[in-house]
Parts: sequence; C-alpha cells; structure tokens
Amino acid sequence: MALPLKYNFHNVIVRWRSTLATILGIGMVVAVYVLLQALAVGLEQNSANTGDERNYLIVRKGATSESVSQVTREQFRYLQYMDEIAKDEEGKAVLSADTMVLVSLPRKEGNGEANVLVRGVMEKGKELRPQVRLVAGRWFVPGNREVVVSRRLAARFQNFQIGEQFHVPGADLKVVGWLDGGKSAFDSEVWMDTDEARNIFGRENYTSVLVRPVDEVAASKLKGRLESSKQIAARLQRETEYYREQTKTAGPIRILGNLLATIMSVGAVFAAMNTMYATVGSRTREVGTLRVLGFHRHSILLGFLLEGAILSFIGGVLGCLLALPLHGYATGTLGFDTFSEIVFEFRLTPELLARGILFAVIIGLVGSLLPAWRASRVPVISALKSV
Amino acid sequence: MTIGGFIIKNALRNKRRALLSILSVAVSLFLLVTLLVLLRELTTPMQDADAAMRIAVRNRVSLANTLPYRQRAVIERIPGVAAITPFTFFGGKFRNEDIPSFAQFAMDPVQLTNVFGEAKLPLDQLNNWIADRSSCIIGIETAKRYDFKIGDKIKLVGTVWPADLELTIKGIYKGTPDDRNVLFHHDYMDEACGRLGIVGTWWVRAKSLEEVPLVVERINKEFKNTSAEVLAETERSFVLGFISMWGNIKILIGSISTVVVFTLILVSGSTMSMAIRERFRELAVLKALGFRRHELFAFILAESFGFAMLGALVGVGGAWLLYTNINITAATKGMFVAFELTPRIMAIGFGVASLLGVVASIMPSISMARMSVVQGLKTLD
Repeated sequence: MALPLKYNFHNVIVRWRSTLATILGIGMVVAVYVLLQALAVGLEQNSANTGDERNYLIVRKGATSESVSQVTREQFRYLQYMDEIAKDEEGKAVLSADTMVLVSLPRKEGNGEANVLVRGVMEKGKELRPQVRLVAGRWFVPGNREVVVSRRLAARFQNFQIGEQFHVPGADLKVVGWLDGGKSAFDSEVWMDTDEARNIFGRENYTSVLVRPVDEVAASKLKGRLESSKQIAARLQRETEYYREQTKTAGPIRILGNLLATIMSVGAVFAAMNTMYATVGSRTREVGTLRVLGFHRHSILLGFLLEGAILSFIGGVLGCLLALPLHGYATGTLGFDTFSEIVFEFRLTPELLARGILFAVIIGLVGSLLPAWRASRVPVISALKSV
Repeated sequence: MTIGGFIIKNALRNKRRALLSILSVAVSLFLLVTLLVLLRELTTPMQDADAAMRIAVRNRVSLANTLPYRQRAVIERIPGVAAITPFTFFGGKFRNEDIPSFAQFAMDPVQLTNVFGEAKLPLDQLNNWIADRSSCIIGIETAKRYDFKIGDKIKLVGTVWPADLELTIKGIYKGTPDDRNVLFHHDYMDEACGRLGIVGTWWVRAKSLEEVPLVVERINKEFKNTSAEVLAETERSFVLGFISMWGNIKILIGSISTVVVFTLILVSGSTMSMAIRERFRELAVLKALGFRRHELFAFILAESFGFAMLGALVGVGGAWLLYTNINITAATKGMFVAFELTPRIMAIGFGVASLLGVVASIMPSISMARMSVVQGLKTLD
C-alpha cells in the first residue's frame, strides 16, 4: 500500500506555525514525565549501588531497618569469634559494629533543620565498604571527636567544610575529611568512630553489625546459627539485598510521576486532536487531490496518523532535550527508610528517554486517530469543490 | 442579532473545537489545583484550637532519639506546666501492612483530656480505657476503615520496639485533625519491652497562652548540659520542623505547577489563534462593514475569555467535587488526610484561567489589527 509519506512529512515542516505549540505542549508533558521518573530512578540506583555482594548485615530480629535495630556488646563479642567470619592477615575478624544516630542539624541558607544520618564504624567498616572513598582531608582518628562527612551533604548543611566544627548535644564534632560514596546511600551519611558515637550520644548498644563470611557456605551456616541462637537472636541479610529493599521513598515519587503524566497526557491528547482537526480541516482540498491521484482511503488514514506520530515524536525528543540538562543534578529529600535527609541525583537513562518518546508518540497517535479517520472519509468531489 | 449572540454563535460554530479547547483548559486547571492542594497538604501544619497551648519536647539530637523517664517528675514541677504525658511512637506492623495507615502511640491515658482536649469520646469509654492496662482507643477513621468495634483486638508487631502488643479496643474518639491514631497505655508497652525507662517525646500543656514561651524556655534550660538535652518547642514549630525535612520536593512540585501553567497558556493560546486565523476573511468583512478595531478586539477577547472560564469551571469545579466527595484518606491509603481545595486555591485556578483568556487573545488580536481589509478578503486559509 502506497503512503503519501512525503506529503505528510513535509506538512509538519511547512505548517510549522500551527504545529509548534502542539509540539511544545507534548514536549512539556514528556519533560515532566521523564524528570519525575528520573528522580525515582536516581533514588533506586542509589540503593542498588550500595553494598558489597560479599557482605552480610546483622540486625535485631524483627527490625525492619538498620535504624530501629540494636546489637548489644555481648552479642558483638559472640560474633567476633565465630569461625564463619573471614579473618584478615593478622587474624582479626572482618566485621564492623556500627552505631547509627539521627542528628538534627541546620541546613545551609537558613532552610530549617533536617535529620542527618551519623554512622559510627569500626576500623574494618571502611575496608568492608570499598566504594566509600576519602576525597579530601583525612580519616577520623578513633577516640577523637572527629567526623568525615559526605561531600554531597557538605553542600547542603552548615559547618560541614573541612576544619569546621558543628555542635551536637554534649559535644562539638570536627570535620576532618570528605567522603564520596560513589552514588550510593553512603553519600547521605556522616562517618565517625563507632565507640565515640556511642559515648557522645549515650548509646549502650551498637545498631548493627556488618560482616564478611568466609564464603557462601559459611554465610548460610552463620544465618542458621544466628537465627536459632537464643543469645543472639538476630537476622542476617546480604548487604546489597538490604539496600535494594529500601524503596519507600522512590515509590511515592513514581506514583506522583505516573499520575501527573496521565492527567497531563489527557490534556495533550486534546491539544493534539485540536491541531490535527484544524490541519485536516484546512487541507480538505489537498486530501481530495491525493484521492484523485490514486491514494486509497487507508493510505490517507495511515498518512495522517503518521503525521501525528511525527509531530509528537519531535515533541518527545524536545521534551527529553529539555529534561537532559538536569541529568546528574543532585537534590535531596526526606528518606522514608532512614527518616533522614537523602541526597541523590536525577538519572536520565537511555531506557527512560526511550519511554518518554514512546509516551509522546502514543499521545500523538491517540490524538490524531479521529481527525485522520475523518480525513479518510472525505468525499472526493466535495473535497475538490471546497475552497 | 445582538453582539453577545454574535460572539456566542461564533464561538460555537466549530463545536468540536470549542469542546476540545474547553476540555484541555479544564484538564490543565484540574492538574494545577490538584498540585496546589498537594503542596498545601505537604506544607501546612494542621491546626486546632488546643495546639497553641501545647508544647512538644523531644531529644535535642533528633526525634529518633529517646528521653529518660525520670524527666517527667522534673517537668511536672516546672512553673506553668498544667499537664504532661509521655508520647511514644510504637511503629508496629499491623496484619500484612508494612506501613499501617494508622500510627500507634503509647501515652498516659489519664492525661488524654488534659493534654489532647480535642479528642472527644464518651466518658464511660474513656474510663474503661483508663481502667484496662492492655486496652487502647482508636480514631474514628481507623474504626471505619477496618470496621473495628469496641471489644475487638488489635495485634501489633513491634519493629522499633522489641515487643508485640495485643490491644483491646475500649473506645473510639473523634475531633482531632487526623482521627486515625491508636492510643494505648505507656505502662503496658514499658512492661512488654522490659522496663527500658525511656519515652519518645513529652507533650506538655501550658497553664495559659502567655506562659507558653516561658515554659518552653524553662524546659530547655532545665535539661541543658544533662545527658539527655531536650528541645521543647510549640506544637506549631514542631510540625513545621517536620515539613522542612521534605526539602527539595516542595520546590519540585512548585516548578511542575509552573510548567503546567506555561504549557496551558501555550497550547490554549495556539488554539485560539487557530480559531481566529480561520476567520480572517470574516473579520475583514466586519472591518469593511465599519466595525472598529477595538470592537473586534472585544469579540476575540470575549470568546477566548469565555472558553478559559468555562474550562476553569469544569476543571476547578470538577476537582472540588472530586475532593469533597471521595474519602481521600482511604483512597491514598492514609498518605493524605485533608486534601482540601481551599477558596484561595480556587481563586488561583480562576485567576490563571482569566490570565490565560487574556493572553490567548493577544496574538490573534495583533495579527487582526495589522491586516488590511483587502489582504484579509484575499485570504484563503
């Protein structure tokens, strides 16, 4: 079946004035859709990026997240001597008992206060998380009231520059370095010595323990031991899995994004329909001519549908281009998993951009279906007579 | 034919386009007011009459840190304090809901009417609750949602606290801004957790409005440089503190609203121009008949303004109907409570619509004014 392809394609260009607004409108819808999804993707990638396949996290039985867990010092002592846990060259167990505290700190530019996650780690805690790198200054010295803050948090909170001090109840903490978590959840944390954190914040217990078992067999053995043991009664989970499950924040953003996109797309369909009806209406004679030239009804229908698709495709590409500059832009909000400020980036993946463009094309097709059908039904004689 | 009749006839001669234009304005305005309502829901603290008298006391480190039980006796002695209750977030799981639609708090039941006076329930229910340590009262919204009756049992699995609780419902209250919470004996939770001697927050009621700032200051001073420094603040600033944690999400929703308004003006403006361009020849005829430029302006403006207003009526009115008639708490699984379309937001919706009506008529008006009669009569398109 022959299609008047060239005709339809040229129309989009020649009549750019009337199509421009529709293209821009669809572009905006796509931009909003893509950006909101990019936020959710950024959040999810943040969690997915976090952790090491070889590590396992131990939390209190029944605790749904690290922040509500507790591990006593007695439990930690048991763990330290378990054979299932890997040893370093000096024979020390590779594990770190962490202390997590939420501290309310003032944001920059007087934007009120927000909770910041302070994580106390042991010496091995750094080795267990190779993705966390020191990017400026030095590491904290155990026993000193020193902290290393995430570089991304430093941009958002007061007194987080190296050499500065910030106040928490009972102590002043000195910032001695900046860390980079490699786009992981650690980018939203402040690190210090675990026992120092317990002292300052008056915690008798640790929060969780991160361990590296000798191998997978040892890991499952350890899991069985911990879950059946009366003394320890803890839960063991692979670190990467634990972070992957932290999706309470991304979910609502995704829902909001889908909801907005749906409502906006209805508006865009109306706009596209209007434009296409107008195009078809003002081109009745041209359609008649095409019919006389031998193009079949179906060809006219498909041709106009295609015109709508081309129109919205351009809109979709435009929307993606509008959204693209925000790729990698860091933003922050309250994370529902940790109840603290989490910093993450807009991530515009190729897949997401493709979805945005596909979304635009669907809007265009739906919007031009009725007008195209109408164009294909135009009686040839009356079409040629019309002015 | 009157001028008004002429305008209406003109506007409706392409009924399909008129309908599509109105609907696209309506959809956009619906979205705009929805976003504004959402923003308001996220950023406006819920108010009630008693809130001004209430003071929240939390650990200065952050809300997630607990306070020692011994502070109660100290706060009770502070001048200006009328009543105090511990108020601890239990955060248990209910059935298979990871985040239940209701929050659970442990408190001192005797102090309920003294501190949270707006919670209303029959006196016998209150007394039954006070008398039974393992009982609770629930908000009317939660009662409706789960079809709970007095005497039913609620089983909560502890996540934050190391205990599972089984509570018998002894009363159903209403009258608070968010009638969903489950309230139970702090004592009972303490016992189940093994007497940890800690609470989440203290809620204090001052004797009078004038004494509120003084009491806040006294409480803060009392615990300065102790092992558990506190932050006492009025209920209002406590809630505002929560809101400030939302961070950039507020800006995000604000920018989306702006984009929506911009898109709306763009698309509707172009539709209007399209409608006028089609009529160039007729406008030229009108000009030739002796109609003045400003009269033609008025025709165009009236038509576009009319479309915009009809769109606003459908969009904003539809949103109003929707949000007042559906149970938003149930529909969003407890994420939103009030979701109220305030008169102010409605006014913004109509304001944007009238602006749109004016802006959309500018472009066609300009080209209409520029055209000469001869040129207009020659136009084919």
